[in-house]
Amino acid sequence: MSTLRSGRVALLLCLNAAVVGHAQSLDLPAGRIQAKVQTACTECHDASIIRQQRLSEKSWTKEVDKMIKWGALVDPSDRAAFVEYLSASFPPNKPPDPTVRIGRSKTR
Amino acid sequence: MIVRSARFLDLEMPQSYFGSWLTSVPHFFVRNHMHEPSTWEAAEWRLNIGGEVQNQLSLSLVDLGKMAPHTVTNTLECAGNGRAFQIPKVPGVQWQRGAVGTARFQGARLRDLLLRAGLKSGGKHVTFRGLDEVPGKVPPFVRSVPIEKAMHEDTLIALRMNGAPLTRHHGYPARALVPGWIGAASCKWLTEIQVSDKEYEGNFMKPGYRMPNEIIVPGGEVNPENTHSITSLGVKSVIAQPTDNSSSSREVTIRGAAWAGEANITRVDISIDSGRSWRPARLAAERARYCWRLWEYVWQAPSAGEYTIMSRATDDQGRTQPQTAAWNPSGYLYNAIDQVKIHVHS
Repeated sequence: MSTLRSGRVALLLCLNAAVVGHAQSLDLPAGRIQAKVQTACTECHDASIIRQQRLSEKSWTKEVDKMIKWGALVDPSDRAAFVEYLSASFPPNKPPDPTVRIGRSKTR
Repeated sequence: MIVRSARFLDLEMPQSYFGSWLTSVPHFFVRNHMHEPSTWEAAEWRLNIGGEVQNQLSLSLVDLGKMAPHTVTNTLECAGNGRAFQIPKVPGVQWQRGAVGTARFQGARLRDLLLRAGLKSGGKHVTFRGLDEVPGKVPPFVRSVPIEKAMHEDTLIALRMNGAPLTRHHGYPARALVPGWIGAASCKWLTEIQVSDKEYEGNFMKPGYRMPNEIIVPGGEVNPENTHSITSLGVKSVIAQPTDNSSSSREVTIRGAAWAGEANITRVDISIDSGRSWRPARLAAERARYCWRLWEYVWQAPSAGEYTIMSRATDDQGRTQPQTAAWNPSGYLYNAIDQVKIHVHS
């Protein structure tokens, strides 16, 4: 048994459920290799961390290579397509995604 | 809270919560680099201290709780706070203003633990390792601080935050608290402390969390060998109210917070004319070392229209927020003069 008290466990589970519920609706956009990118990346982290990036092709190349080094399962023959897809989907000049919130924001 | 990422969990405090000098725990930003520890037994949890010490220690939560408690109120800020404002854009969590908060941390002094273990003369750096669960081949989130900061009287192994045990998101059962320094120094879910003769060499010390030694042209390349580890926070203010692109009556109450890491805020100035003239904001009374100062300025707009409000902080080391933050490839320590655009209606 974890030592976390039951009330805190319940609170954390609710928070996590709310967060995951919001974030999982944010899939990656359609594209020729979308499914492979989604699978390779979201094994470790959710898609929102990708969706908020606005990077050049050069920067996306560095990110893809870093993630492959860190264990992302990307077939070498797909590497260039990954970079192309991410660069086209999340370029520097694309407006930011809407902000996702959980809980109530206090107003003054 | 603003959800920057659900997995790994990264939550940003909305601007409206800057109104409180102490940030409530549910509204305190969360920055996780890895999965949070999934299971462990508090009765079996140990904090192990080893390396360049005379006596290795293995302390339980009960042992730590018996040590003399010390309380430090600290403004903790993620090194990447404000990364979203860097131009050109850089990779990483796109924090805007709210990866920062102020809380009262309590726990044992790290110094007391190290003295109990008996430091050897070769001990120059102290490395923290937590229980973060590492996915794939990602390098573990392990970081070190120099012995001088580790032995400082305000550096803690914190067990409590704002009077209650740490929550899981904030590092339960124990975290380092390295006051005035970037949040990454204050490792969570702490389980191992190693004293060594050199700075830890893992990914999150190098190339992670480093700043170029020289000014970099935005978008330019940086030689990793020409960088230094980031320690203390810079001088910075943010405007919490009004929010960007909001509407206001002609009496505009401008509020925000300003902080400076290990230094102290001495003034915050406001400009409504693109920085041609500056007027001092009123600093709120609550203050403590390592903590932000809340500030306020009430401005009467001369007429309806569009205005840009700017805030600029200065500290007792003579540092003033720059017009443009020093660009770096990871967007660390963004601290440009803050600004919001508002529409004043009649």
